[in-house]
Amino acid sequence: MRALIYLTKRSFINNLKKAVRKPSTLIVLIFGIAYGIFIIASLGMLAVEIRMDSVRGLLIVLTVWSIYSVLGNFMAYSSRKGIIFRPGHTHFVFTAPINPKLVLLNGAWMNYLVSIILWITFSIGGLTIFQVAPWKVLLFFMAGCVLETILEVAVMVFLYTNDHLPEKLMQGVRFAIKVFLVGFTLLVVLYFKRNGLSVESASNFIDWPVLQMLPVIGWQIAVYRLILLGPTTLNVICSCLYMITMLVCVAGVWRMRCDGGYYEEAAKFADDYAELKNKKKSGDVDLSIGGKKRKFRQVRERISARGAKAIFYRQLLEYKKEKFFIFSKATLIAVAIAFIFSYSLREAALESGAQGLFLLGIVAYMSLVMSGYLGKWENELKNPYLFLIPDSPVKKLWYATLMEHIKALVDGCIICIPIGIFWRVKPQDIVFCILIYAVLQADRLYTKVIAQFLVGEVFGKTGQNVIRMFIQMALLGLGAGAAVIIGIFVNTGLIFPILLIYSIMVTVAMGALASLRFDMMEQAV
Amino acid sequence: MLEIQGLSKSYGKNLAVDDVSFTVPDGQIGILLGPNGAGKSTIIKSIAGLLRYKGGIRIQGIPSRQLDAKRIFAYVPEIPSMFDALTVREHIEYVRMAYSSDITDEEVEEILKEFEMDDKQEKLGNELSKGMMQKVSICCALAVKPKVILLDEPMVGLDPAAIKMLKEVVLRLKERGVTVLISTHMLEMVEELWDVMFVMEKGHIIGSYNKADAEGKDLDELFFSMTGGEKS
Repeated sequence: MRALIYLTKRSFINNLKKAVRKPSTLIVLIFGIAYGIFIIASLGMLAVEIRMDSVRGLLIVLTVWSIYSVLGNFMAYSSRKGIIFRPGHTHFVFTAPINPKLVLLNGAWMNYLVSIILWITFSIGGLTIFQVAPWKVLLFFMAGCVLETILEVAVMVFLYTNDHLPEKLMQGVRFAIKVFLVGFTLLVVLYFKRNGLSVESASNFIDWPVLQMLPVIGWQIAVYRLILLGPTTLNVICSCLYMITMLVCVAGVWRMRCDGGYYEEAAKFADDYAELKNKKKSGDVDLSIGGKKRKFRQVRERISARGAKAIFYRQLLEYKKEKFFIFSKATLIAVAIAFIFSYSLREAALESGAQGLFLLGIVAYMSLVMSGYLGKWENELKNPYLFLIPDSPVKKLWYATLMEHIKALVDGCIICIPIGIFWRVKPQDIVFCILIYAVLQADRLYTKVIAQFLVGEVFGKTGQNVIRMFIQMALLGLGAGAAVIIGIFVNTGLIFPILLIYSIMVTVAMGALASLRFDMMEQAV
Repeated sequence: MLEIQGLSKSYGKNLAVDDVSFTVPDGQIGILLGPNGAGKSTIIKSIAGLLRYKGGIRIQGIPSRQLDAKRIFAYVPEIPSMFDALTVREHIEYVRMAYSSDITDEEVEEILKEFEMDDKQEKLGNELSKGMMQKVSICCALAVKPKVILLDEPMVGLDPAAIKMLKEVVLRLKERGVTVLISTHMLEMVEELWDVMFVMEKGHIIGSYNKADAEGKDLDELFFSMTGGEKS
């Protein structure tokens, strides 16, 4: 254990030193904490607004927490995926003479930290918003942070280290939990549909005695009820059952033999997690972990294009091998957002009589939302062959991103045509909106390349995105402003063509600048 | 001594290793050879305790899963994975603690110097090149002061000086009575090292040779005679 403590301690200290040396990490950290506090404060205000600022309000929160979070964790542990190990663990820890149970206990330190932060937040909320007596807050903090964590750790160790449990049984457990959660959610939805969504109805729902009778999670809810509301026959019995369960689990896990069989899944998860982090770093939109290997369609086709054009035809071949061609999760997001907007804003758009401008607003919003999405072109810049192709940088830029422009055009059609028809927008305005969407997306690509060129890896992906947004908004904002002024004072029909022409001009200029990035692999920064 | 008895491992319905048995005697250097997909990595990972398997693996007579066996066993994986936020020196300190190794500071310095890492002790794991990571991985394995050491493609990514040093180190370990098992494709690199070789194909050991039985034949000659390929 001494070695594991050393490992954790040194990693923590070195990471802290690195963060202090790298201001961008510190800024992100401070921003993250501030954002977290803002969200919690907003939730607190919301609780006051909807009259949930009482002990019963806290009980509603704890009941939901107990059911969804605890069962969710159990499900992750049963597939041996709840603890984050790194490839370094596979190399240096799993092979070392350290008790596999200790490896597990140490590996879960992040879970303990999250648990402590969460229960401190609950306690502060209990004292300030939910008006719970301090001694009760102390008790429920102990129950949540200590008892719940002990039970969770015991269940975790049991599920990870028990090689005698057949995989089929574990699959059954996971399936049963999923069925229970879906069933429970349906029950909650039906209940509130019948009784109306109010604090009173929620309060009545959590008073339902069956909830406390549910094994483990229900008994946990009973402990919180005992502390916060005082004893009843039911909550005392269920609390006793909870304590007994906890003691039995701890004793069982203590005595259980474990020779590290779980290292196989943990090592696989460590690799998958490392891959996920890399994917996230490179801006990949598909952030699923592990899973089956991607399958590709068989396409027999030769790339006959020459020079930079070959980049486009190679990408086309790659997309042809994909299951859904150029359509991806990003397309689904586009469809979903288009669907939501077309329904929710229909009345307002029709009433205003300026449906075209409403559609333009959605196009602008979608350009912003889809800004995190990257296609295959991003990887082109990491490929040295791109720079070796004997062609001009402008052509390389054009052909490396051409597929993205086509995709943007298709996405634009998916978003604009249904909304346009549904809102009765003029056909020429729909066409303008589609074209503007495609041009805005192209502008985003080129500005991103320029931002990368300007700041390199110094400020990381976040820094690059901030710079990109700043450049993009400054340039396009000017055009939008000018178009609106001309629209108001001269002719509203001019807004669309002016905006399109201006966006094309800016995008071409950006493209010319961005092509410099395709000249040499080595960058300025 | 490293003993593998009736080792089998399946991934779902795919049988990767089928009832494999072999032994590397005390103080000898064993070479595990085979084409890609033969099952070498599965055997190596099973010995290192990273996979579930059927059969038995013993290190100096102790079942490999036991902590006593792990204490005298060192492993150099094919792809080294460092802890991003740990320095080179801290990696070695961790190994020293985890294995309760009696290696002294002077010995650590010496190992690092041999692999030209003494001036990079304060570098973090994520600041190292692939070759440097491989060197750190080897240094950490040596810091264990093992009785059995397993090296999976140890020469990949190393510069010529480091390869030369590694060969010297392996021979030194042999002199000290350490049992060594090396899995590699670089036959010419282990030509002067091996005592016993095992050739794998499709999850089975298809043949083995002792140096004495080889009658002076090259490793690649023996390998291709068993796998049916041609010597280049």
